[in-house]
Amino acid sequence: MSLTKEEVLRPLARRRGDAVVVTTMAAVRPWGQLSSSALDFASADSAMGHAADFALGLALAQPHRKVICLNGDGSMLMSLGTLVTIVASGATNLVLFVLQNERYELTGNQLVPGAGQVDFAGLARAAGFPHVHSFQEAAAYEGALPAILESAGPVCVALKVETGTSGPLDRGPAEPEAYLRPSLAESAHALRRALAGRGSH
Amino acid sequence: MIRARLIVDELRRHGVTDVVGLPDNASKILLELLGAEPGIRPLTVTREGEAFAIASGLWVGGRAPVVLVQNTGLLESGDALRGTAMRMRVPLVCLVMVRGHGLLAARGLQPPPAKLDAGLLSRSDVDSVALLTEPTLRAWSVPWEVMANDADVPRIGAAFRRARELEQPVAVLIAGETS
Repeated sequence: MSLTKEEVLRPLARRRGDAVVVTTMAAVRPWGQLSSSALDFASADSAMGHAADFALGLALAQPHRKVICLNGDGSMLMSLGTLVTIVASGATNLVLFVLQNERYELTGNQLVPGAGQVDFAGLARAAGFPHVHSFQEAAAYEGALPAILESAGPVCVALKVETGTSGPLDRGPAEPEAYLRPSLAESAHALRRALAGRGSH
Repeated sequence: MIRARLIVDELRRHGVTDVVGLPDNASKILLELLGAEPGIRPLTVTREGEAFAIASGLWVGGRAPVVLVQNTGLLESGDALRGTAMRMRVPLVCLVMVRGHGLLAARGLQPPPAKLDAGLLSRSDVDSVALLTEPTLRAWSVPWEVMANDADVPRIGAAFRRARELEQPVAVLIAGETS
């Protein structure tokens, strides 16, 4: 049993409030179709496997604001040490989602190492995350989401999601998702202005 | 010899709020001083690539971080540096403790030869990471300043100015012992 990306993202889009949302890989386009906030940031055309690190930096800089990272299992596997760094940092406002489709979806759905075997919730617990959740059914996830977003973190939410068919990510003016139209630098500087209260929300 | 206290004072003068990185022998005293410094938050990462992404997030969030790594860790960080701080145009100063600099000087290889080869890079009496540090920074389009003694500490300020002017990462190579 698994969730569709829409079942994961639509309830989150309704409840994210003024949280920053950092997306990467297969979550980038679906999130961009549901949300157009100045506090959305696509870690696309960026460094592989480092979206959660970037989100941690934001969380440490903005301790009174939730920061949500929509990471993939392939990306998480590239930097598992980040789970330890997150806990050791003392950040309490970071919510790390790990969307497990067990594939490198953007490169052609090749299996990730340990597909079907790696327990990301277990890894997060072992790293010291105080709050860890795992879901493979939409109603249970949606029911728990409000409490997840209100709890002091860091929080890790591991979700079994269906394999999709997202292709490679690009940035540029022709992109349908608004947050993929600026360059990565323009996006980063715009988010910085928004967080400083100098941008539109 | 470089007094670590002077480095800390220089970082404070430039409003640094966070030092993100991984310790090595040469940064031990510097990190101890930074850990005791009010207003500067140290954060240790598990691998150096994390440091550039975290520091980029800190800067986007309104903080003033620096990265502190050994040159070995700098080489490990290639895609992280390229894909975060550089591609996001973050004016990030990266303090790099240069392992192997003294050996190069003792072997008459300072400055390193322009042409490197496997023969030189595999010599057991030379630390290859010191040979590769500056060529790697050049290839990554990261400018650098070099510090070898107390008189060079103002190079940190120069790095901050260059980082702001260029809107990109700038490295400070700390090639002398710290005390």
